[in-house]
Amino acid sequence: MRDVVIVGAATTQFGRAQWSLLKLMAEAAHGAITDAGIERKKIDAVYVANMGSARNNRQAGIASALVDRMNLYPVAADTIENGPASGASAVKNGFLAVASGMYDCVLVVGGERMQEVNNFEATEFVSYLSHRFAEYIYGITLPALAGMFARLWMQKYGVTSEHLAMVAIKNHANALLNPASHLKMPIAMEGLLHSPDSAMNNPFVADPLRFFDCCPVSDGAAAVLLAPADLAKNFKKTPIVISGIGQATDTQAVHERPDPTVLTAVQTASRKAFAMAKLEPKDISLAELHDAFTILEIAQSEQVGFFPEGEGHLALERGVTQITGKLPINASGGLKAKGHPVGATGVSQIVELALQLRGEAGKRQVKNPRHGFALNFGGFGNNVVATILSKGA
Amino acid sequence: MAHTVNAARCNKCGQLSYPTHYYCSKCNATEFSPIPISGEGTLLTFTRAYALSLDYEQLYVTFGIVQMDQGVRATGQLDIQEPVLGMRVRATVGPVRDIGGRDVFGLRFVSVFPDAAAVESDQPALSASPSAS
Repeated sequence: MRDVVIVGAATTQFGRAQWSLLKLMAEAAHGAITDAGIERKKIDAVYVANMGSARNNRQAGIASALVDRMNLYPVAADTIENGPASGASAVKNGFLAVASGMYDCVLVVGGERMQEVNNFEATEFVSYLSHRFAEYIYGITLPALAGMFARLWMQKYGVTSEHLAMVAIKNHANALLNPASHLKMPIAMEGLLHSPDSAMNNPFVADPLRFFDCCPVSDGAAAVLLAPADLAKNFKKTPIVISGIGQATDTQAVHERPDPTVLTAVQTASRKAFAMAKLEPKDISLAELHDAFTILEIAQSEQVGFFPEGEGHLALERGVTQITGKLPINASGGLKAKGHPVGATGVSQIVELALQLRGEAGKRQVKNPRHGFALNFGGFGNNVVATILSKGA
Repeated sequence: MAHTVNAARCNKCGQLSYPTHYYCSKCNATEFSPIPISGEGTLLTFTRAYALSLDYEQLYVTFGIVQMDQGVRATGQLDIQEPVLGMRVRATVGPVRDIGGRDVFGLRFVSVFPDAAAVESDQPALSASPSAS
């Protein structure tokens, strides 16, 4: 296999888009191409990550549609759908295509425009990820699965609503430093849990999870350009190496897991990524975790291997996961506050790590990062992709 | 017609699974017999969800995961006002969703103990289907 590097990276503003899904994706793609400083005719193949365009935006075959929108023909183009992990799956497929030698220059774009439908429709379409006959028919939503997970986790490890709120407060603060983030809204413990208005401003969504424990419904797109390491000198930016990728699956119905608090696919995907990169969790300088719900940042921070079992919330308390801490988590604002345009999320995590490793992350720049870790969590943990990026030698 | 929710019992080794998979997780056989999920179990976790998808008009739905004494686990709706982790529940089958004007039936768990206060009575099971019972 050839070594693969990221030579271009870009994201659009996340939030409520003024444009169509295709224009959002094209804007991100154009950003990555410009960032790399190449002509678009050099691109050999395009991988597009998206979950809901056929349902929400009345456009199927979104990769072909994007190629048309950007006059990229006759490049090869494929759509990758892996639920909320579509983004990292698309990066993985782009990586494989370059590593194999089949293509030299691959564009990976992730995008979602969810606000084209109302919130009921958006919740409905995301709930299609659950098991159709054992979960979906009951009205199960992703927040409901996360609520059941949170209740068990909190009871088992003594995690409180305050700990969950600390994740939200941290990630909202980080998002204020990220121009592309969806929610630019400082929040505080008092308002979330302890003021007379808390019940109104931060109601239960799926108890014990409240409104500010859940990510927003966002529009947005992100893109990276991949190339073999030996051609990296043809591009203008410092190449960032994709040093490890791991992917793993688990039961679709959450109730079938022997211990529903154990996210086996997170553990396996992470272990595989670390093995491929020949690194350990202690080598990681910063991580982007899939905090669609605050409880997931705490759970993943342990199950990836950063903290011992039952101690993720203690690390959070001590400030270890702040931008200035020993292991910054979700410096971008995370899904919680940067936003979660489903198909874009995994790609935008990679974009964030690439910018951080290049030293281009502006006010949220982590000090001298060497290796970055991203976890993209599909379904409710039934398809997980872990990616490790490293600064070149 | 009585509605049932069926687990699958492997015809070769007897392993019970829910939901159904193509291969038996224990012996890899591919032939199964339907076994209705019924009887009692223990509530493993639950949530009361207020942000619901389409098809629901009520304020909230309570969901839970139950370890059935039969051996399988199942997700379902709870007709229990104040659920408690570890409480004993009984499986019933009733309408759980209205999809395109048609009732879909599934598991609804009730408290085993005849405590009137523990039975949810003020929330209609499914507002979209007044004939729910």
